[in-house]
Amino acid sequence: MLLEVLLALVLGAVVLLVLRRSKAAVLKTEDGWWGAGSPPAGAEDESIRPFQVETSREEIEDLQRRIDQTRPVPSLEDSQFNYGFNSTYLQKVAAYWRNEFDWSKQVDKLNQYPHFKTKIEGIDVHYVHVKPKNLPEGRTAVPLIMVHGWPGSFYEFYGILPLLTEPANADDVAFEVICPSIPGYGFSEAPRKKGFNSVCAARVFLKLMRRLGFGRFYAQGGDWGWQITTNMAQLDPTAVKGLHINFAPVENVGPLLILSILLGRRFPGLFGFTELDVKRLYPRVEKMLVEPLKETGYFHIQATKPDTAGRGLNDSPVGLAAYILEKFSTWTDHEFRNLEDGGLERKFSLEDLLTNVMIYWTTGSITSSMRFYKENFAKGFYPPHARIPVTVPTGVAAFPNELMHTPKLWAKQKNHKLKTYTTMARGGHFAAMEEPGLMAQDIQKFIKVVEGKK
Amino acid sequence: RQRLTEELDRPKLQLLALSSVGIGLTYFLVWRRKAKKSIPLGDGWWGHGQQTLRDDNKIYPFKVETSEDEINDLHRRIDQMRYTEPLEDCGFQYGFNSNYLQKVVSYWRNQFDWKKQVAKLNEYPHFKTNIEGLDVHFVHVRAPHRPGQKVLPLMLVHGWPGSFFEFYKILPLLTDTKDDLAFEVICPSIPGYGFSEAPHKQGFCSLDAARIFLKLMERLGFNKFYLQGGDWGSLITTNMAQMKPQCVSGLHLNMLAVTKGGVGMLLSLIIGPYLPFLVGFTREDVRRLFPYFEKNVYDLLMESGYMHIQGTKPDTAGCGLNDSPVGLAAYILEKFSTWTDRKNRDLEDGDLEKKYSLDDLLTNVMIYWTTRSIIPSMRFYKENFKTNPQNRVDARTGIFVPMGHAAFPNELMHCPLPWARWRFKDIRSYSYMPRGGHFAAFEEPRLLAEDFVKFVRKVEGKKR
Repeated sequence: MLLEVLLALVLGAVVLLVLRRSKAAVLKTEDGWWGAGSPPAGAEDESIRPFQVETSREEIEDLQRRIDQTRPVPSLEDSQFNYGFNSTYLQKVAAYWRNEFDWSKQVDKLNQYPHFKTKIEGIDVHYVHVKPKNLPEGRTAVPLIMVHGWPGSFYEFYGILPLLTEPANADDVAFEVICPSIPGYGFSEAPRKKGFNSVCAARVFLKLMRRLGFGRFYAQGGDWGWQITTNMAQLDPTAVKGLHINFAPVENVGPLLILSILLGRRFPGLFGFTELDVKRLYPRVEKMLVEPLKETGYFHIQATKPDTAGRGLNDSPVGLAAYILEKFSTWTDHEFRNLEDGGLERKFSLEDLLTNVMIYWTTGSITSSMRFYKENFAKGFYPPHARIPVTVPTGVAAFPNELMHTPKLWAKQKNHKLKTYTTMARGGHFAAMEEPGLMAQDIQKFIKVVEGKK
Repeated sequence: RQRLTEELDRPKLQLLALSSVGIGLTYFLVWRRKAKKSIPLGDGWWGHGQQTLRDDNKIYPFKVETSEDEINDLHRRIDQMRYTEPLEDCGFQYGFNSNYLQKVVSYWRNQFDWKKQVAKLNEYPHFKTNIEGLDVHFVHVRAPHRPGQKVLPLMLVHGWPGSFFEFYKILPLLTDTKDDLAFEVICPSIPGYGFSEAPHKQGFCSLDAARIFLKLMERLGFNKFYLQGGDWGSLITTNMAQMKPQCVSGLHLNMLAVTKGGVGMLLSLIIGPYLPFLVGFTREDVRRLFPYFEKNVYDLLMESGYMHIQGTKPDTAGCGLNDSPVGLAAYILEKFSTWTDRKNRDLEDGDLEKKYSLDDLLTNVMIYWTTRSIIPSMRFYKENFKTNPQNRVDARTGIFVPMGHAAFPNELMHCPLPWARWRFKDIRSYSYMPRGGHFAAFEEPRLLAEDFVKFVRKVEGKKR
């Protein structure tokens, strides 16, 4: 009798699990319009206009004047980067910016790839479109959209673009890459209405790809880019051939996850935990509570009062640089908090870092970039898309110093067709900018698995 | 053995039992009395480099000053503001509304008279004195000598993003009274705020501020005094009462933070809405506390972003604000809007000028601007959250001096009397104020003064 009951329960549980999994829900969305006032009558202008980044002497002189007006406050003795961006090192960065950084030269560098703008849902969306120059006979380039995050920009991909569009290896896939700017970031117009979240951005980017004639394409992203490309795969799984992400935080806490957290240290093999997994997740309180609390202050204020948080940063370039570059230091390696110079120039050049900052500065987009945080948490921590899995082939590149570490088991909970999961040798949050070679390698590996299986 | 038990007959056994209990009880009570009623003072030195000289104990008069250069620089920076379009229909929900900010900024640029405000600041005498390596600033207001009037010493401590200036409206109500009771008031600036020098070393928390203020009162010759505070001022004055209870006649607070909840708090939260009297809640308590999740958890999450970033990365958070006066004003004045009444978040102008004049608000901002103290003021958050606040020595020790609480309806969090009793062992007065928010002294000086005096009278009346 007991045996029958037990078997029935087990069977019931299995049936439930099977049924649950096969109910692959599709994310729904409605159209939106983000321009000022009401949408005009008539069809939207769908033309694609070439765009050039420009600067002027006034712009550069204004920047230099403001840098000269900085009122520095000395950091506490021996505090390095533990209280935020160290004041002494900040003066060095500001001096370089003022006297050596050549924005005109950087603008030319930005323009080496063709830029475009096109109006979607009432706002101008900016993107860079890079095609391979030397494609061998009979081969077509594989379309790929790469989406940045905060406080990054399309510029983060300038190091990896040549590796993807002109791969050295003849075996490797050559890509045709689209790097858009999220609306509200850089050269993309900011939405005027409330409610522009990652699902809206995903919808806009799907429309962009369709407008450019790409019926099926790959998507790559980290930080907000991860969220947006994931939403794209959820909105239109037929369009997204494959999804490659370098950031995969857990959105839905299930019983398996909890079990793995509780028992993972003792029985790592049971959950497929690697050495890196155990190192990054334990001790639990320190790694899952204290560390995130230490690093999420910006998130908290941006998700609640973005207009206040960004206000001062739009007038003070040095303030803006401190705010943004602190992340490039700490999110590349937490240990950098104990260095006088935040280890900033170990993995990045000041030239590249400041070019990224200039994109926020010259477009005045810091406040609108912060609003994205509030819009995405307006409905709490479990919006509909957090509960829907990803059913397109996915590849995860797990960089050892990423902000939040996701073991393979956890990634599988969300991404039901996980094709590759690579523990990368080195690198942090800004993976494409810091380790373009490693990232490109993993994208190739992922593509080959997906294309090979066809 | 048999003889022993024969001798221990009934009455003798009873005597033995009673005396054991009696001795046990006495021992327990004596032990309890010996239990920690104060926290250690500690010591510190916050100047540059190594401590070489002894503290110069002299008190120097100080005058707030300004210059054409300072005002022109401010105007130049205001003119350089790079406006960002706000979202449509967002009120103050995304922070300080950009449209309304332009109006405030225009007033600041064209009508605000800093020289006039500086003269107003100097209406009361200011001083500075060096304590633990830092120049500590304070305002010292004496009561005009009236016959038959008892004058009691009082220290008022401000918080963030306030300053000593918040007390300028309440000062005359306390010092220049016509009845038998008046106060001689000291309003210091917390080190790192306004005209008080900022600590150069890490670790300066409320315990250090408390000790420095106790040394200040001692240096000024006050052996016993009253304390009043809200925001950080509430914690600092509480710490002062914990360090030297023998010096504190009474402690009046307009903000109480509930630190250690535990089972008692959980029970009162569950039972409270339905059977308030069972857990000691009044109807007003229920009205202010519930729905608990929405009012205390959700709202607090919405409003504590500043605390999170200041408690972790103060140098980054304040950097831009020290170059951009408009940014600084938006950051500070957003609090004067939202912490006065949370409903202000839905209004285009945050109803900022309903309870405050732009002159007063901007004077407070100017104190942060001209002294460049926004970053050190933010560091205070990080220093206080370094050790888990619930485990710090002051959180584990009670407060035994007479205490009074003025509970303002729009304060950030409400603390009912039963909860306050967990830590404050001698509460003499607990009042539900009819109106007012976080910046009580600034917004409702008369109401606060009245409640404070009522509290003092209760304490003085009970004195032997």
